[in-house]
Amino acid sequence: MLFYLSIAQLLYVIILSPLAIGILNFFNERLSSRGGPSIFQEYYNLFKYFKKQSIYPESSSIFFAYVPYMSFAMYLFLTLVLPIITAFPLTFGPVVDFVGGGLVFGAASTLIKLSALDSRNNYSILGASRSSSIGIFTEPVILLIFIMLGVISGTNNPYVINNIMQTSTSWYYSLVHLFIALAFLFVLIIEIGQLPIESNSLNELGSIDTLLIHEYSGRELALLKWGSYIKQFILMNVFLNVYTWPFFVPMKLSLISIFFYMFINFFKIIILLIIFAFINSMVSKYRLFKIFDYIAIAFSFTLLAMLVFYITTSGG
Amino acid sequence: MQHNVFILIGFIEIALSIFMQWQNYVSNNIKTFSIQSWILGIFLMYFGVLNNNISIIILSILTILTRAIFIPRYLINTINKQIFRARENKHKVSVSLSILISVLLAIFSYILYTLVFFEFGKSLISIPITLMLQGAFLIMSRSNAYAQLIGYLVMENSMFLLSFLFNGLPFIVEAGIILDILGIVMIGGILMKIRDEDIQKEEELYG
Repeated sequence: MLFYLSIAQLLYVIILSPLAIGILNFFNERLSSRGGPSIFQEYYNLFKYFKKQSIYPESSSIFFAYVPYMSFAMYLFLTLVLPIITAFPLTFGPVVDFVGGGLVFGAASTLIKLSALDSRNNYSILGASRSSSIGIFTEPVILLIFIMLGVISGTNNPYVINNIMQTSTSWYYSLVHLFIALAFLFVLIIEIGQLPIESNSLNELGSIDTLLIHEYSGRELALLKWGSYIKQFILMNVFLNVYTWPFFVPMKLSLISIFFYMFINFFKIIILLIIFAFINSMVSKYRLFKIFDYIAIAFSFTLLAMLVFYITTSGG
Repeated sequence: MQHNVFILIGFIEIALSIFMQWQNYVSNNIKTFSIQSWILGIFLMYFGVLNNNISIIILSILTILTRAIFIPRYLINTINKQIFRARENKHKVSVSLSILISVLLAIFSYILYTLVFFEFGKSLISIPITLMLQGAFLIMSRSNAYAQLIGYLVMENSMFLLSFLFNGLPFIVEAGIILDILGIVMIGGILMKIRDEDIQKEEELYG
């Protein structure tokens, strides 16, 4: 039973992740008073890329051709182990905890950066250096967030953290949780490439993550794009199901509740996308070196969470 | 309950003062200070209503009127006449470093408190100490005179917050502090208006 649910979760993420990004693009365009593309536009794009011919740079090695498949497989693996439609572990759930999941995320992005270096394209290398220099500072923040969640729950398992957040109102309304959720929101915006950090719109080409896949074409480009949609979808799910809005996620094996939760989950995602669209229409892009101030703010929130934990638990 | 509300208020104030370190524009700093004072005033009001203490309620109304409404409005008016003062031109300490330093000050004051003063009671006192150190750091890290003035006001807010943890200062002292603050801001505004002609001279204000 759990095995079939895992497959359902996999299909849910694979099928709906382009739709979520399409909806985000649609909201962005509507908020700037343009007609906007269809919300199914990303499916058309992926279909188009799959039909096209793949071209590799002459100077690249065989590694360049394999990276899209490997990174796509890693993102698929992550969909199997995180709480997306259920709050109890599915077949592959016990394989990794939060830190392990973070490592797989890191491995996939490292592979993509290496392939960008391998393509010998100046723009790709620029993107690789930018995204790795930002990644150096965001990873410790993410690790500190996991440590603080570990302090709250006594474990690093996302399912256990979800159950604790669902059931314990004292932790849910605590200041520790508030600061951690805020810090994760800051990091989430960096990871999924939304506006104060990166904008890839009709007006400008995104200059961090978008540049990494500059040299790909055809099926490989489609897989990389689809992989990045899956990554964004998973991260938004982690943010909602574990950090901020852990309610309604089914904690017991019941097919009807899981079926209904699939719709509720997508509804939550749409609300988050509306918030992102509003942020995108309100703020302007930071200069490259201003991003580090932004990361410093996220880091200071996690440190404050740690301080609150000590002050509130030391008997006040 | 009051205990938890105090922690909530204290950490919101700390987060706001970190936000002040992030901002280049002085008007944003002033607005943030106004929000800080609103929160403090509402907390005072809540505290006064809960304890049925009429003098604290009067004090909260005075706080909101002077610190949250009058002082920010006065400062923004004076800035609007001197547009060149509206922005921090060059940072003595880079922004991300100053954010990190002000967070480290929070940890430092907690550790200092637990090491030195722990016998006196609650670890909550480290929150106003943090806020005071952050205000002092805001003064040190900025060369813009208005930002420095905001730093003084943040320090003063922290003193106000600290006075809750003890059984409350006498009303006359607190009201006197508010008058003092008004005086400082007025004199500061006039001084800065007189020194209008030269941008460089504002650096004389820090010593």
